[in-house]
This record gives sequence, C-alpha cells and structure tokens, in this order.
Amino acid sequence: MQPVFQVWDLSLGYPGKTLFEHLSFSIESGTTLAVLGANGSGKSTFVKMMLNLLSPLSGEVIWPAGRPREIGYLAQMAEFDSRFPIRVRDLAAMGAWGGFGMRRRLDREGHMRVAAALDEAGVLSIADQPIHTLSGGQLQRALFARVIMQDAPLILLDEPFAAVDQQTEAHLLTIINRWRDEGRAVVLVIHDLSSVLDHCTHALLLGGGHANHGSVTEVLTPERLVSQKYMSESQAAWMFRSALGDTKKDTSHV
Amino acid sequence: MFEFFTEMWGFAFMQRAFVATTVLSASVAPVGAFLVLRRLSLAGEAMAHAITPGIVIGFVTAGLSVMSLLIGGLIAGVGVAVLTSLLARKTILRSDASLASLYLIALAAGIFILSAAGSAIPLKSFLFGSILGIDDASMMLVGGVAMVTLLSFAVLLRPLIVSTCDPVFFEARTRWPWLVDQGFMLLLVLNLLAAFKTLGTLMAVGLMILPATAARYWAATITGQLVLGFVFALLSCWIGLTLSYIFPNTPSGPAIVLVAGAFFLISVLCAPLGFGRKPRKQSHADTTSLT
Repeated sequence: MQPVFQVWDLSLGYPGKTLFEHLSFSIESGTTLAVLGANGSGKSTFVKMMLNLLSPLSGEVIWPAGRPREIGYLAQMAEFDSRFPIRVRDLAAMGAWGGFGMRRRLDREGHMRVAAALDEAGVLSIADQPIHTLSGGQLQRALFARVIMQDAPLILLDEPFAAVDQQTEAHLLTIINRWRDEGRAVVLVIHDLSSVLDHCTHALLLGGGHANHGSVTEVLTPERLVSQKYMSESQAAWMFRSALGDTKKDTSHV
Repeated sequence: MFEFFTEMWGFAFMQRAFVATTVLSASVAPVGAFLVLRRLSLAGEAMAHAITPGIVIGFVTAGLSVMSLLIGGLIAGVGVAVLTSLLARKTILRSDASLASLYLIALAAGIFILSAAGSAIPLKSFLFGSILGIDDASMMLVGGVAMVTLLSFAVLLRPLIVSTCDPVFFEARTRWPWLVDQGFMLLLVLNLLAAFKTLGTLMAVGLMILPATAARYWAATITGQLVLGFVFALLSCWIGLTLSYIFPNTPSGPAIVLVAGAFFLISVLCAPLGFGRKPRKQSHADTTSLT
C-alpha cells in the first residue's frame, strides 16, 4: 500500500478560529477513510484543504507520488442544480472532461466507458433521461457514474448517502469496495455513525478542537465520541450497549 | 403581402436592422441561456440598467460613436459588477440588494445626465431602441461582439456547463474558477451594449431572457436550449421589427420583446416542461423525445 496523501502537524481553521491542531496521518492506496464529526467540526474545511481550495493554518500537506491530476469528487448535493438541462449520459461523461478547452465529442471508446460506468451505477436504462426527471437516489447513482468516469487514484465523497435509500446505499457501497480493491484510496465524509463504517478501514474523527486518526475500532470508541462532542453520553451508552457487553449492563464508565 | 415585404426591405435602414438583429440573436442566445441557467436573469436585467450612465457620459462627452458607447458601457458595467461583489463581501448586504441599489443609482444618474445635457437623442429611443438608429458603425459593433461571444463560448461552453450544473465540483477541478464567472459577466456587458441601439437600455436584456426562458420549457439538453433560444430570438427580432415598421411610432425594443413574450407564453402553456406536463411524474418511456 502506497501513501497517496499525507499531512504533518496540520492545523486547520480560519483566521481567528482554529478547528483542530497537530494532526499527522497518511492515506494509503487501497484503504477507505471515514471522516466523521459534528456540525462545524471541520469536515468541510478538511475536504476543501484536500481539494486545494483552502490552505492549512500551519503544518504540511504532502502528496508522496505528486498531486494526482484528477481527484474523484462527489460534492454535497446542496448546490447541485438538478434542473439543469442535461441527460444522465452527459452528466456521467462530464467526469472525463478536462477543465477548459474546446468541446470535443467522445470517441467510441469514451462512449463505451460511459455506458459501462452507467451500468455499474445501475442507471444505464435511464441514460437518455434528463436529470430533472430522476429521483434523489437515481441522481446520486448518476453522479457516482461521473466519479467512475474520473478514473482517479484518490476519491473524495462528501456525504454520499445523505439522501438515498438503503438499497441504493448498499449498491453504491459495492462500487466503493471495488475502488478500494483496485488500490484506489477512498475518503468518505459521513455525518452519522452508520452501516457505512463496516466498509471503512480507517476513521478520522473531528470535533471538540481535536482530530484523531486511526483504524475504525481504535478511533470510534465511546469515550472519544463523547469527548469530541460527536454524541452525548446517553447516546453513546445506547449505541454501544451491545459492544460494551450485554452482561455488564453498566454504562457508567462511558 | 409580397409587395409589403419588398417595400419594407427596400429601405436601407430596415435591411440593416434585419441583418443586425440576425447576428445579434446568434450572439445573445447563448448568453441568455446561461443567464437563465445560472439564475442570473434578474442580475442581467439590473446590469442592463447599470451600464446606462456609462453610455450617457460617453455620449455626452464624446458624441454618439461606437467607441464612446463601448468604453463608457464597459467601465460602468465592470464598475458596478466590482462594487456589487465588494459590497456583498465586505458589508452586511447580499449581492441582490447590493446590485439593486447600485443599478437604481446608475439608471437615475444616466437619465438625469442625459436630460440635463439636453441630448439630441430622444429619451424614448435611448430607453427603448429605434430601428432608425442602426448605422454602419453599430453593425460593426454587433458583428464584433457576436464574433467575440461565439469564439468565447467555443472555449467556455464546457466550463460553463459544469460550473452552472455543479459549482462545487467545478471549483474543485479548476484552478481559476473565477475566470468563468468574470468572463461570462464581460460577455453579458458586451452583448447588452451590442443590443443597445435596437432595443434600448430598458429592453436589451429582454432579447436574452425571454427566448431563453421559452426554450427552457422545451429543451432537455443544453444543445436544444441553445439552438431553440436562438430560433426564438431570431423570430422575435424579425417579427418585432416588422411590427415596428407597420406602426411607425412604436420603438423597436418593446415590439421585439413583446413577440419574445408571446413565444414565452405559448411555451408556458404548450411545452412539455411547462403546464403541458408535470416534469417529475414522467415515466421512463416518454422522456426521450423532449428536444
């Protein structure tokens, strides 16, 4: 597993407000990192930093193999214009467009790649529909097809399951697992402790002025989740009741 | 009927008006489409008023030349755009309120200066355009702006599509996302200036917005939107100019915009994405023939 992205002694925030300090870790190829935290803990700031849209307050950001030309990116849906006049097929093809330049038509191979991406995301049958006719889940699948088209070594998904049903989530998770198996590094920003975590190898927990990185089981302990203001003590007690041992019934140490 | 058209096209000023608006339609159609898609319809309208004092001051100081129109208009347009973004970033006002405040001041100042200077151009032509006002220099202006616009769109089309549809995704992939925003605003100001002679400052943006909103009701793809927007703009110009010719005292701007308005109303009522059909309740089978 090669390191794709590293940070050293990173502090993140805005002038006058530090969100967290002294974070060092690396993301390796073939791993899946879950980024978790309460509102305002710095998840979006972290994403912006990875995308080079924001500089850290201090510390170093290192791309051991050079910054990839393409970072697969799925943004939050809030600013997406779902009434834009474009067909599912062309939305997916957008992943293979460069930044600027004349409008080139896709070649035969390009068309086949789009079809394969749509098929994997489960939206090939509606490839010619305009996106305003899609449901939230279908749209998210189409956007996943666009990420597939980006064919990037590092993939950043910002709350990909916020508005999709369980079945779609399960389907999209198989794509994420495939990416990991292919040796890509996947970073998933998620808002809640969900089933998604079963599919993640590492976690980065933000909040309470701290940032902790490690394997999922190391980081997501009830103590940390409470101290980093991710959940209240009673919520942690409820959520970890089975993990803490049903026989014990005592959650006072949480 | 035939004699009517021969007579109308016998006049040099009508020939010029038809040629100028044909070229103008090709130029304003893509700008209008993205004004609508980028939710800048009202900002476009405000910008059209905001360039007024620039045009007036250019006219009062340097006479009615294309260069004075272009320089004055560009300074006013860019000035208002910069001030608007400054107010929105540094003060409590949001950008819509900043723009509204500035364009009202600009429009009032423009009309005040025009009247105070005892202009030779009637106010009506200034505000609403005149088919008699299109001289060779204006034709050159329209042609030049159209060329710049279409060449810019050849390069900017993809970035514009991505940044309009998914701005966060676009920002993440481009080193200079502001280039698209600013480039587009510049194209807007240039096209407003090109449209000024025929449509006047109050109506210039009408030829951008209405054909584009009408096309929006029919088109499922961006290509459809652009082509149909152009067709509606072109037909609005031709029919509007003819109306303005039939009724000699009517300014050409409102005539053209009224025709565009008729296309809009027809589209609202009949088009597949208007009242003709509810967009979210389509079945899979019937959505492939929207363009």
